[in-house]
Amino acid sequence: MKYSELIKLNNELDVVVDGSEYRIVILSNIMVHQSKEICEFLLRTESVNANVLLGEYDNIIQDSTKFQDANAIVIFWEACNFVDGLQYKAESLSSPEFESIVLKIKNEIDLILRNLKDIPLVLINRFSSLIFDQFSLSNNKMNQLVGRLNVYLKEKCGVNVKIIDIDKVISRLSIKSSIDLRYYYSSKTLYSIDFYKKYFEYIKPIFLSTTGKIKKALIFDCDNTLWKGVLGEDGFDNIKIYNEIQHLILHLAKKGVIICLCSKNNPQDVDNVLENHPDMILRDEHIVVKKVNWSDKVSNLKSISQDLNIGLDSLVFIDDSSFEIGLIKKELPTIKTFQVPVKEYEYGLMMREVSNLFYSPSQTKEDIQKVKIYKKQLQRSEDRGRVGNIEDYLRSLGLALIVHVDDLSQVSRIAQMTQKTNQFNLTTIRYTESDIKKLVEDELKTVISISVSDKYGDSGVTGLAILDSDKSAIDTLLLSCRVLGRNIEYKFMDIIIDFAKNKDIRVLNSQYIKTIKNQQVSDFYERCGFVKIDEVDSSSQYNLHVENYKNKDMKYIRIENGK
Amino acid sequence: MENRIKKVMSNVFNINVDSINNESSPDNIENWDSLKHMNLIVALEEEFRIEFDDEEVVDSMNYALILNILSSK
Repeated sequence: MKYSELIKLNNELDVVVDGSEYRIVILSNIMVHQSKEICEFLLRTESVNANVLLGEYDNIIQDSTKFQDANAIVIFWEACNFVDGLQYKAESLSSPEFESIVLKIKNEIDLILRNLKDIPLVLINRFSSLIFDQFSLSNNKMNQLVGRLNVYLKEKCGVNVKIIDIDKVISRLSIKSSIDLRYYYSSKTLYSIDFYKKYFEYIKPIFLSTTGKIKKALIFDCDNTLWKGVLGEDGFDNIKIYNEIQHLILHLAKKGVIICLCSKNNPQDVDNVLENHPDMILRDEHIVVKKVNWSDKVSNLKSISQDLNIGLDSLVFIDDSSFEIGLIKKELPTIKTFQVPVKEYEYGLMMREVSNLFYSPSQTKEDIQKVKIYKKQLQRSEDRGRVGNIEDYLRSLGLALIVHVDDLSQVSRIAQMTQKTNQFNLTTIRYTESDIKKLVEDELKTVISISVSDKYGDSGVTGLAILDSDKSAIDTLLLSCRVLGRNIEYKFMDIIIDFAKNKDIRVLNSQYIKTIKNQQVSDFYERCGFVKIDEVDSSSQYNLHVENYKNKDMKYIRIENGK
Repeated sequence: MENRIKKVMSNVFNINVDSINNESSPDNIENWDSLKHMNLIVALEEEFRIEFDDEEVVDSMNYALILNILSSK
């Protein structure tokens, strides 16, 4: 966001955000006036009623006595301006001159920390010589100076003081983008706007933790989020556990972060992984709430927030699907969301960024007990049903089904789907490529394949129905789990029925053959208006008088012809 | 360009866009002090992806002058 827009929004937020004022004073020996709005804005968007005051330029000592009613003090104390021009004078200092500067600053550290001892929170940047020292191979005097002072500062700081490693912020942004030397020599401003944005973003969790606005619960999808692969498709033995990610999550769980699951899966499958998978780091005992079901994630996240009795704005949600992330961003915008990066090797760093949102200054016994405490609380609270309506969201997606009929070019993909799809697969009949080729060429069989597109992109061929006009039956009906949760399946049925009508089928037969993986579709034909006529062992037979079929009339899903 | 400059000025000084005219300067905008002046310069630099040189910073002392300087970039 541009600086001038940020200033404007900050003024608007000033009126909107209420609650007790949180006073931050920034003391400095350089000009930092652009930090005010940026700091206020970043905290006000988290509903902290922040008010930032700036001390006088290069007046840290006197100012440290002045703001005794501040909730927090931030100190920018730049080594290059301990003495005017120190960054170029230091190297030619005699040893006594050097020692006298060290002594002077040490005394000032003592004085300032004493003056600030009653301030609840003091953030002071580590002394740094990085900017002017970036090309130096030798351990020069500036380097020695800040090294010694940092040791001293660390020894002297009390429990209310936190030392901020400013070099981390500079490194993430690059030295070049962090500074703006044009005005350093004329007016002692050192840092760029971009630096202040990154800096206050970095330290924000400290303020949020002292104002009770820190994130509390971290919620994960399972497939391609806790492990690589789709449990319902690839199976227990073929998923690959994300080791690094789970170690980082475990560490958070032990610190008292509430870890939850929100995943479209069969609950017993996920439980089985949590209990029995040899590579899992996370186990059932670390997880407070599990919403593993086939309901939409908006309802599930709402119900997690209710179960835990914490606000939606305390939740962080991680999922690999842009569909789910988009849904939550739109429907529950106060939940902070992260999407698993496409590049697997970036996931570890992203997870560390997420971890910082759960900053806590120290660990308490309650933190460690938190999982147990919450679990007990949950036993008492009752299960609340599904809420919310995702139709509006679906409408915004611009969904389209692209229909292909008897398409020879798709034979291998179609065969692969019959072999690999387990969860949304009504009959689980496996076909080879040559089987499919025969079906495509058979006049009495209609092979209907669909791909799904929305504003996020095209899913590729992800659904299949084989209509047998000879037997007036649906031979195969399957959808990849990638496209579920969008009512695609119902629209697909509308299409199948249209084909049946064109083939003059009056009564359409269908069957559901139960497997250990397809229980989510056990009642699918009934949901579509079919009537169960027979049930033998694991197979149920249905039929439908085609003229009685009620079209679902979901206008927000378009139908397009593939060719 | 005029509108974008006025937008930035209105954001930085927290004043109405319509109140800005050629003569708008530190003399008639209460908020326009030396610190806010630097904020204005950085905000304009960010908005137009340009850099002011030292003289231009000093010269940008009313709306018409700012427009003039930015037009020459």
